[in-house]
Amino acid sequence: MTSLTHPDLSLFVVDDDEGVRDGLGMLLLSRGHRVQTFASGEQFLESARLDACGCVVLDLRMGGISGLQVFDALRARASPLVVLFLSGHGDIPIATQAVKDGAFGWLVKPCGDDALLQQVQLALQLAATRLARHQARTRALALWQRLTPREMEVVRLVAEGKPSKVVGRELVPRANHRTVESHRGNAVSKLEMPSNQWDRLIRDHEL
Amino acid sequence: MNFAPPWRRSVPWLLGLAATALLIGWAGQQAARREADARADGIHRAIELHALALRGATARYNYLPFTAAQQPDVLAALAHPKDPAYIAGANRYLEEVNARAGTDALYVMDARGLTLAASNWNNAQSFVGQDYTDRPYFIDARAGRSGLFYAVGKTTGIPGLFISAPVRVGGAVVGVMVVKVSLREIQQAWRDGRDPILLADERGVLFLGSEESWMYNATRPLSPEGLEWIRAHKQYGLDRTFPAVPWTTSRANAPTGYLVSTRLAGASRHFLAIDEHLPELGWTLTVMTDYAPVTGARITTWTLGTLGAGVLLLGGLYLRLHLRRLAEQVQARAELERRVVARTAELQEAHRFRKAMEDALLVGMRARDLDGRIIYVNPALCDMTGYATDELVGCLPPYPYWHPQDLDRHWRDSDAAMNGRAAITGFESRILHRAGHEVFTMVYTAALVDAGGKHCGWMSSVVDVTEQKRTEALLRSRDGQLQRSLRLSSLGELASSLGHELNQPLMALGSFASAAKAFAQQGQRGLLIENLEAIQTQAHRAGDIVARIREQIRRRAEGIEPGAGIAACAINTLVATVLDFQKAEIRLRQARVETRLESGLPAIAGDRVQLEQVLVNLVQNSLQAMQETPVARRLVEIDTSMADAMVCVRISDRGTGVAPDAASQLFEPLYTTKPDGLGLGLAICRTIVESHRGRLAFENRADGGATFTLYLPCQP
Repeated sequence: MTSLTHPDLSLFVVDDDEGVRDGLGMLLLSRGHRVQTFASGEQFLESARLDACGCVVLDLRMGGISGLQVFDALRARASPLVVLFLSGHGDIPIATQAVKDGAFGWLVKPCGDDALLQQVQLALQLAATRLARHQARTRALALWQRLTPREMEVVRLVAEGKPSKVVGRELVPRANHRTVESHRGNAVSKLEMPSNQWDRLIRDHEL
Repeated sequence: MNFAPPWRRSVPWLLGLAATALLIGWAGQQAARREADARADGIHRAIELHALALRGATARYNYLPFTAAQQPDVLAALAHPKDPAYIAGANRYLEEVNARAGTDALYVMDARGLTLAASNWNNAQSFVGQDYTDRPYFIDARAGRSGLFYAVGKTTGIPGLFISAPVRVGGAVVGVMVVKVSLREIQQAWRDGRDPILLADERGVLFLGSEESWMYNATRPLSPEGLEWIRAHKQYGLDRTFPAVPWTTSRANAPTGYLVSTRLAGASRHFLAIDEHLPELGWTLTVMTDYAPVTGARITTWTLGTLGAGVLLLGGLYLRLHLRRLAEQVQARAELERRVVARTAELQEAHRFRKAMEDALLVGMRARDLDGRIIYVNPALCDMTGYATDELVGCLPPYPYWHPQDLDRHWRDSDAAMNGRAAITGFESRILHRAGHEVFTMVYTAALVDAGGKHCGWMSSVVDVTEQKRTEALLRSRDGQLQRSLRLSSLGELASSLGHELNQPLMALGSFASAAKAFAQQGQRGLLIENLEAIQTQAHRAGDIVARIREQIRRRAEGIEPGAGIAACAINTLVATVLDFQKAEIRLRQARVETRLESGLPAIAGDRVQLEQVLVNLVQNSLQAMQETPVARRLVEIDTSMADAMVCVRISDRGTGVAPDAASQLFEPLYTTKPDGLGLGLAICRTIVESHRGRLAFENRADGGATFTLYLPCQP
């Protein structure tokens, strides 16, 4: 099994049972993952970087706040973390509901190391795509912020495939064809891409 | 409400009426005033016209006496009054000039007032020789002034305007030249008009005008001196009296001028009149205009105003009536709505009350129509059966909760109930809860009668008697048995929770082991050792949990240890006692029990209570194993015998038997084939049996079902 370890991806284990927590920590460490473990949901929510991209292995049943409450807190903060639940035999219905609500998956204790590693792997892959998308969006946003509001309007209209004359007519207030051309030239150099890629830029990053 | 006395309520109305009347009156006055103003304007314009005509008439002939007075023929005649030739010359001259000028007469008098020559010299009414010394125009001219005098001709009796001028010779007045001008044409023009036009002299005597009958009437009383003067100068002929003009005047309702009321041609007439003084002539011109249009305008306005007010009043009354009716309707509607709301609230209240009552009922209620279709169930029935209301309503028999093993009986009871043959005492019915457990009920059915008294279905109350049955069964068994059952179940729960606890170390163990393997491969010694230590810790932990389970089971099963209870007991008596305990359970499960008890069996040495528990457990297992078996085949066979020098009890059922893969674990603790089983019963049974130095065995029967055999050593 190939390991995907990404320097920008976080991996957290939250379980109130010391044995399970350390065992999972060791298991993931032995496969080359960098892991941070937490003994309670409170501790996790307090000290982990919740806005990071990565995966959290979350015990469903814990002393203090439950794994489900932690999950809800993550959702409330729009955290990009991918959540993988660990549940006892009796908690499967709760775990399946959590998956319906957006958790990545669940594992029933005791689970085999292969199953766990595979799930973690898949979760990290998902986290990696989220990270990539996030970084791309951050980059795109930075480029976009270079534009003046007028240029943004021009870029949007050009991206819709409208010729400069039409763009000039649709702008408020109107602009003549030459002004539009000059905005367009500025936008090309600021966005560092030709105008035929603007449409994708806007759609992909919801600018 | 305002209960004002009637008069007080009518005050606003009266005030309104008065205000309206005033308004209408005022409007009428305004209209009349406007009309009067317009009329007055017309009069002023007519006055200007008529005054111009009068002045023109006088001015036209003013020069004539002066011119004629300087004529040589006239002077010659004056110089030679006795000479007919000169007189004739003057006569001819005057006649010719008079004819040319179109005047009535032109004549000349000597200084004594005697007419010497006249234009009408050869006329019958010739002025020649006439003496006019008493005429003012002569007096004026004789005094060297020009004269102007309107009078009736002394000779002719024809009125006219006399204009005179002195005839001077060397500064001395030697004669007077007079021209008489007729104003007939003017008068004729006035008469052609519709409204009266009058001319009065300086004393107020009307001398010219469109109304013939008013001529020589006085517009104001004549003073005696005035009258004397007129008579003396024979101005208007002889012996004339000057009666007051037959009209009454009034200044009211006339912004300018005055009102004249009179009778003309037998009809009562009203005129607006305006006087214009003509100072150079000494006359007063009075022009009148019909006042009827003014009155008409006022009356029209009043009529229209009154009509308008009437229409408004009627409209107002209608509106008031309409509004009142509307208000009544609104009120009626509001009342209706209020009653509907109140009624709805009552109904809702009643409905809520009924619903609360139904919901609170522990007795299930079920209504069916005449076809047996369920038309109503209450929550208690839903709870009892495990089906939702909408799943039950509309169902025809067989209903989903009918126990599959009691279908025949259900059909029988149902048909009986539908035919009105349901026992008044109700019947017992076993139903199957959706979740799979059985519910014992008593059903009481009565006819359902609609509001019209028509029989429309059946209402049944269904009483859950499961608990009662169980209690009965338990009561029938002995206390000890109850205690033991309870003990067994709590033991199972304990074991189950401990089992859960084991998952944690197992999970940890798996993880540490996997990690250890990886670290070993990577040659990471430190980590490897750390993991192996952790494995050790977790293995201990798991061992502790297992030990705890064992300890718990042991402690719970303490009474099982053979000890003081050991006594000689007869196996057949034990079996009979157990069956007696289980009678209720057996009946609940609709099973039969057949026993073949061998007589003369030796006694066994054992704890009677413990052995009873084993037998109870085995019988219950048999009953439970036949849950899916048709009722007719549910048979538990128990026989006792001697085998291998041991007393042997065989308990056989006709259930599903034990699957081969399950057989090896059958007596293991925590192993169970039942969905809600605990997996302890047989394990404990075996523990008890083995502690009695006996043996517990099982085999599947060839025709389905299982046989458990209990071997117990005889009392030595």
